[in-house]
Amino acid sequence: MLIFTLRRINLLLITVLLLTLVSFSLNFLFPGDPLVNMSGRINPTPDQLLILSDQYQHNANYFIQYWTYLQHIFKGELGVSMASHLPISSEIINLLPATIELSMTALIIAMCLGIPIGFIAAISHKKITDNIILTIAMLGYSIPVFWLALLAILVFSIQLNWLPSAGQISLLYEIKHVTGIQFIDIMLSESEYKWQAFQNASSHILLPACVVALAPGALFIRLARTAMMDVLETSYIRAAKAKGLSFLQIIYRHAIRNALINVIRHVGLQFANLITLAMVTEVIFNWPGIGRWLIESIYQRDYTAIQAGLLVLSSFIFIVHILTDFIYAALNPLARDTKHGA
Amino acid sequence: MNLLDIRNLSIELQTTNNSILAVDHVSLSMKEGEVRGLVGESGSGKSLLAQAIIGVLDERWHVHADRFHWRGKDLLRLSPEERKSIISQDVAMIFQEPMSCLDPTTTIGEQLAEAVDTEQLSGYFWQRNQQRKNAAIKLLHKVGIKHHDLCIKSYPHQLTEALCQRVMIAMALAKRPMLLIADEPTAAMETTNQGQIFRLLASLNQLKNMSILLISHDLENVTHWTNNITVMYSGQFVEAGTTKQIFTEPYHPYTRALLNSSPKANIELPVKSRLMTLPGSIPILQHLPIGCRLGPRCPRAQQACVKAPKVSNFHGHQVSCHFSLKDTY
Repeated sequence: MLIFTLRRINLLLITVLLLTLVSFSLNFLFPGDPLVNMSGRINPTPDQLLILSDQYQHNANYFIQYWTYLQHIFKGELGVSMASHLPISSEIINLLPATIELSMTALIIAMCLGIPIGFIAAISHKKITDNIILTIAMLGYSIPVFWLALLAILVFSIQLNWLPSAGQISLLYEIKHVTGIQFIDIMLSESEYKWQAFQNASSHILLPACVVALAPGALFIRLARTAMMDVLETSYIRAAKAKGLSFLQIIYRHAIRNALINVIRHVGLQFANLITLAMVTEVIFNWPGIGRWLIESIYQRDYTAIQAGLLVLSSFIFIVHILTDFIYAALNPLARDTKHGA
Repeated sequence: MNLLDIRNLSIELQTTNNSILAVDHVSLSMKEGEVRGLVGESGSGKSLLAQAIIGVLDERWHVHADRFHWRGKDLLRLSPEERKSIISQDVAMIFQEPMSCLDPTTTIGEQLAEAVDTEQLSGYFWQRNQQRKNAAIKLLHKVGIKHHDLCIKSYPHQLTEALCQRVMIAMALAKRPMLLIADEPTAAMETTNQGQIFRLLASLNQLKNMSILLISHDLENVTHWTNNITVMYSGQFVEAGTTKQIFTEPYHPYTRALLNSSPKANIELPVKSRLMTLPGSIPILQHLPIGCRLGPRCPRAQQACVKAPKVSNFHGHQVSCHFSLKDTY
């Protein structure tokens, strides 16, 4: 297990290093002066340019430049935004938690609904339940997310007036920014309207999270269904039947765990997809997350923000990927220890 | 009284276009305390027959029988649930490839403990977990695994094939079955381990009076351990009798060919001469010959063989052939 952990951490470090290499080279590939792209200070005076080139070691070779760039990143200096002239690191700290909150809620909704429904479909294979579930999954997977989001706003916010259509929380509630994740901040605040704020925040997150969760959820249904059907065909399930266990016992004790292993592997891969969906949804629902900020930066040609935002988002996706690897290892004893001769 | 009495059991595979008769009217009977070998080439339907007895075939397979008695009880009259509860109570099975028959994500201890049935336990539910654990340890001792602590904590992939097979046998013993069906228990095992497993089965038969149905493709290997042998070919019944009868006076041309094809059984064979074998190979399920399925390969086949022969009984030595070798002895 220790070796497994070390290997994963190693993988994380190397990938982050490669990501920084990409974002570093982006500075040179974007139009304009690399120094301006890196620091974000537009139209610098010759004096400022001199200071900047000293800061980023611009006259040294590429390797030293990269090394200085890395030092800046690890110090948390990602430059300033070309559009707003605010330090990017502080913007990211403000915005990233909202995205984490939205994507994690969506992921939990997708997993908690998708995987059990997939299992039910596999158990009632070739029956009408299976066909209905498959049809719905197919439909859910093929609906474009922006259209679904607009439709959801139209139906649930405007016509039925059940859920709010935009924002993270109503402006009435004043929640201090501590961790950035709304629900934790509400819990930490000492307002007497804590529970009302909590309710309000949940009703705000419900619609966008469901919209983001639909496509991955539909995919999880299909993955869980195939995984479960594969497991039910194996000889250890037949042996368990011969042991005299009832069908439910077999499902609970042997089938679910083995099927989950195969699904969890794909969750990490699907997370990148989910973040992309979340970025589009953030724009439509006016969610104050990093995705919306990044898309706005792209519109404004804010190169400094683009490269920093890409770096942070991809690192986040990769960290989640590693986390699912750990969950996979916890479920699967075969992945935990090093195999000899294999 | 017979422990198990099966008459004319057929297993059909239902495909989208047609149905294939994979096992064609096979009869099998077992007495208490008997060790019977079920022998045939791979693809002759031995494992299917065993899985049909234990009732773990999926819905693609249709099983019919004229008679299916378990200790005098007619199982065909019972509902599937009742049949399953009786069978899982008294019959246990060990499969080939033990490694793949153990759940890879559950420890051996847990898998053993869940095989122990509730009737053997006493006391309140909070005591039962401990009792199950103790029962599991005792079972491991019974099959000759001394390091139970280590074994209980292990996952299947951490054990050797032979150890896994012992664990499977221990699991089968948990219900204290009257009949143990061993489906090629020593496939893919070295000779020393094979010997250990067979000795274990033999001792269980002698000490616990447990009947064993030993399924194998290797006639020679099982003769050492069995009282009676049933031979199958391509899903059809060929011959049944005591081990001695089958070995010294086989009535069916197929059994004779099977014996002749093994170098140990005919020691008088001159050096460097060819072993006697039947021409051709076992037919595939989609293209089964009509009548006696051995027909196209049989050295004694005649026109009558296009109709399936009836089983004839000579003092307990049953053979299914129009032109049996009985008169040649």
